[in-house]
Amino acid sequence: MTYKIGLLIDERRYEAVKNLPFASQLKSMFGGEIKMLEVEVDEETAKKILQAFPAARLDARGYLEDLPVAFKRALFEAVVKTRSTGKEALEEVFKNIEAVKELAKKEKEYVPPP
Amino acid sequence: MEGDAARSYWEVSTRLEVRPTLGPDGAPIRNPYREVMSIAYGFFSPLEGFMPWNEVESVLRERRLLSGWLFPFPVVFDVSEEELKSSGARPGDDLLLTLRGRPFAVLKVEEVYKLPDRRELADAVFGAPERNGEVVKKRFDEKHPGWLIHRSLKPLAVAGKVTVVNPPRFREPYNRFWTPPAASRKLIEAKGWKVVVAHQTRNVPHIGHEMLMKRAMFVAGGDRPGDAVLVNAIIGAKRLGDYVDEAILEGHEALNTAGYFHHSRHVVTMTLWDMRYGNPLESLLHGVIRQNMGATHHMFGRDHAATGDYYDPYSTQILWTRGLPSYGIDAPPHQVDKGLKIKPVNMGEFAYCPKCGEYTYLGISYGDVKEAPLCGHTPERISGSFLRGVIIEGLRPPKVVMRPEVYDVIVKWWRVYGYPYVTDRYLKLKEETLEAEL
Repeated sequence: MTYKIGLLIDERRYEAVKNLPFASQLKSMFGGEIKMLEVEVDEETAKKILQAFPAARLDARGYLEDLPVAFKRALFEAVVKTRSTGKEALEEVFKNIEAVKELAKKEKEYVPPP
Repeated sequence: MEGDAARSYWEVSTRLEVRPTLGPDGAPIRNPYREVMSIAYGFFSPLEGFMPWNEVESVLRERRLLSGWLFPFPVVFDVSEEELKSSGARPGDDLLLTLRGRPFAVLKVEEVYKLPDRRELADAVFGAPERNGEVVKKRFDEKHPGWLIHRSLKPLAVAGKVTVVNPPRFREPYNRFWTPPAASRKLIEAKGWKVVVAHQTRNVPHIGHEMLMKRAMFVAGGDRPGDAVLVNAIIGAKRLGDYVDEAILEGHEALNTAGYFHHSRHVVTMTLWDMRYGNPLESLLHGVIRQNMGATHHMFGRDHAATGDYYDPYSTQILWTRGLPSYGIDAPPHQVDKGLKIKPVNMGEFAYCPKCGEYTYLGISYGDVKEAPLCGHTPERISGSFLRGVIIEGLRPPKVVMRPEVYDVIVKWWRVYGYPYVTDRYLKLKEETLEAEL
């Protein structure tokens, strides 16, 4: 079974992905004002993510929710770097998962402002 | 009474240090200081002090003060046996209330009484599914902040009128929004506003809120548009994940300064109160507060002042269209003897319709009231959790969801506190500093 992670795409992120192969698959929300990119997650990776981030959960739609911001930011960067919305992007994130986990730990009290 | 008078009280009165009510995790969930200030400045008028026991009974039986006026909640000044003993307070005394050692008010002691089992008291305050099935859907528990406040009260209570001896000196930005009832009514008169719609808030406004306020103003006017919107933010104990109070106030102010509301039709104010999340009962308190502030109408939306799924989402509309007989309120609050003059504007929800290219009314549905939505497309609701998800990721919400100037306010306070929402650290800081210096 595969699951999904929804990455929100604002204007700034859109500039980074608009010419990538999956740009046409972006889901439109609020009349196109904001978009969502779905990253596919296989069962084994989903388990690894849930183990790494105990607050994360799978919702009824099969989306991984309540993921740390640090993870989502790292995943977006990996999507751009690997030009993939699949396993390659997630593998890229897991190369530095300990650093992401450290950032995530601090997220209860601090998230860097934009 | 200020200055020398306050100092002489310091020397001669019995005194008592006001301490916050703490939840099971030790986090502050209420500070009676805020209730003292709201009573003393007339936000809860005709209530002039903390209630004696027979008034608490009257409120629980029929939601009326001893004077007969409608009022939703018991307002009690609770103390422990040790606190009472060390204060030495007895009926007839002037009890000087201090906060961090500094005097701020005098409570003229009329009665000292023992509170009943606080769990039973909390149930009596908010209701129960078997007794109040017209609006209560689930038994209250410790996850409900208002129920928890009442359950956590100390065993004794001191009743009596309160007088402020040291007015609060609000810190920035709160000082800009402190417009107590007398000042608010004066402002409304000076502006020449005849139809003023109150908007309750504990949120940074998104465009759905803005649409509700604007449409409510037109509805309230009846045969002509209303004059203004009076935004009144409830400032008090927070919960993890809430927007910070400073951003709520300045976010609403940004709608005005950035011109989304003309400054001659909009004012942002605040009231000190630790939310009880009593949905229909809280709406009654909101009616009292905003009537005292001079508003002629009050806008009520879905899930007004609610948390969780304890109440029917349209409980407030049920109160203001039919009354709540199981709480002793047989007709809408503005249609009963010694009720309120303020009139309700019962609103449903607005959502963005991409096809219409605008916000559209989704209608309202409770009991036998079933309104059709305004457009025949598929509008997209703004969910609070979606918006929070956008913000926490550091993304700018689309302009159809949130005004950029409002988002900038969120980021401004994010830089101050290191987080866009309330954290444990913010909760501690808030309790240490409150909103005002004494």
